Amino acid sequence: MSFPARSSVDRNGEEPPVKKKKTSQVLPQTPQLYPILPLPDDLVLSCLARVSRSYYPTLSLVNKSFRSLLASPELYETRSILGRTESCLYVCLRLPPDFNTSWFILCRRPNRTQKKKKKNSNGSLLIPIPSLQSPPAHSSGLVAVGSNIYNIGGGPMEDTPSSTVSVLDCKSHAWCEAPNMLVERKHPASNVVDGKIYVAGGCEECNSSNWMEVFDSKTQTWELVSCPLAEQCESRIDKSAVVEGEIFMLGDKGVAYKPNEDRWEAIGPLSDFDLGWGWLSYSVIDNVLFCYRNLDGITWYDSKIGNWLNLKGLKGLPKFADYSRVKLADHGGKMAILWDKYVPSSGYENKMIWCAVIALERHNSQEIWGRVEWLDAVLTVPKTYKFVCALSVTV
Amino acid sequence: MSSNKIVLTSSDGESFEVEEVVARKLQIVGHMLEDDCVINEIPLQNVTGDILSMVIEYCKTHVDEEESEEAQTKLKTWDEEFMKKFDIKTLLQIILAANYLNVKGLLDLVSQTIADTIKDYTPEQIREVFGVENDYTEEEEAEVRKENAWAFDEADTPKP
Repeated sequence: MSFPARSSVDRNGEEPPVKKKKTSQVLPQTPQLYPILPLPDDLVLSCLARVSRSYYPTLSLVNKSFRSLLASPELYETRSILGRTESCLYVCLRLPPDFNTSWFILCRRPNRTQKKKKKNSNGSLLIPIPSLQSPPAHSSGLVAVGSNIYNIGGGPMEDTPSSTVSVLDCKSHAWCEAPNMLVERKHPASNVVDGKIYVAGGCEECNSSNWMEVFDSKTQTWELVSCPLAEQCESRIDKSAVVEGEIFMLGDKGVAYKPNEDRWEAIGPLSDFDLGWGWLSYSVIDNVLFCYRNLDGITWYDSKIGNWLNLKGLKGLPKFADYSRVKLADHGGKMAILWDKYVPSSGYENKMIWCAVIALERHNSQEIWGRVEWLDAVLTVPKTYKFVCALSVTV
Repeated sequence: MSSNKIVLTSSDGESFEVEEVVARKLQIVGHMLEDDCVINEIPLQNVTGDILSMVIEYCKTHVDEEESEEAQTKLKTWDEEFMKKFDIKTLLQIILAANYLNVKGLLDLVSQTIADTIKDYTPEQIREVFGVENDYTEEEEAEVRKENAWAFDEADTPKP
């Protein structure tokens, strides 16, 4: 291949110092075709690491080596070195007819059509993680630590106490076993503080010594945490969340635990905090507890004044149907909200799951505003599906 | 800084006379200059004149990397405009050149531009651009397409 001679780009006025060589050997000779240059792996990695992870599922379709490159430790190391790790939303559903646990990732459809983009849409959709056999899971036993999702007490049978812990590596999308808990538990409350998983309740005979245990993901060990408030150690915990390093756990009774200070506190059930906290749809984002309820919409708890306040703004977010299942999740400091809606054209046999991402802005101490960044119809499911959980990992 | 001139010659015999400070932005040249202090002509075997001239244009612009926010913003805008000139095939040649000549800033810039470009490509386009074969067997491909029907399906979405 030859390029037309350039007139004088910094060309030395004197005779060319090196004899003119024709074409380097890496380039093919056909002038009408641009050369197709296979790049060395490290350059391909350098490019792929800079692509948002939500495009990886499509890129994996190129060929097998692309697919393995996209799941390789080297790629994720490059992303981490380049500071390109990002929050990625995972959704756990149970689908008929067998209601097996299925995991989905939020990803983006490549914007290759010239069609005008729908207002507010960013082409997101939920896609199943291919070829993944997942153990049963319950929302309270699922937590994300870094790039892993832990499924605690989730198997082998859905509704029997278990000490099993499995881990989904969200880079390679493979499950593996983690060390068992010290106590068998059914639907325990699981919360993460400083990379450690605190698991409480769900035991057959709860007492102050076995009610809580903690898993250190660095040392891969479990340790019992003694709870001095034996009275509060109820087996069933309906809802739990971590705000400012303090774990709030509420059932018929309530307890708060701050691991860094080893401080325990009984919290009153039927307080404003408890009553305003809808147990189906809530999430902590940037140390603020948000929840959704039909009557109130999206609210957040202002611990300074001890009251629930409405999230303001939300222009463009539709009102959800009364029957809609709504889930909130932290999405890298923004709010991901998922809800479903019947699809009339399916004869009301199917539901469409929608997802919106909402940027949160704190205007003053008592006002948080939500700005809808985008919303999309992300997945069609049979109406009898079960929504287990939505959570974000960092990859 | 010294105003010493260095002549860089491409694989196809094109020569470029540049300031030493510019030439030193090519780390490969920087190392040669350190190893042997009396070079003023450097043959670069793995890059054509066409691509080398673009690398030099980048290095000239980036020769004084000022810290000020204003200068950084200006450079960033220049980078964006510079990258807009090239199609994907040229970008791939530039990334190879930036890698060979060891110009880190350009390598980062081109990597990002390629990333932004290929994210919206079809698998077929990527195979073509990167010169890779589809090594899925027919059955595997059918399976992959079935599992990933979403990627090929452009169905209209309903209203919220």
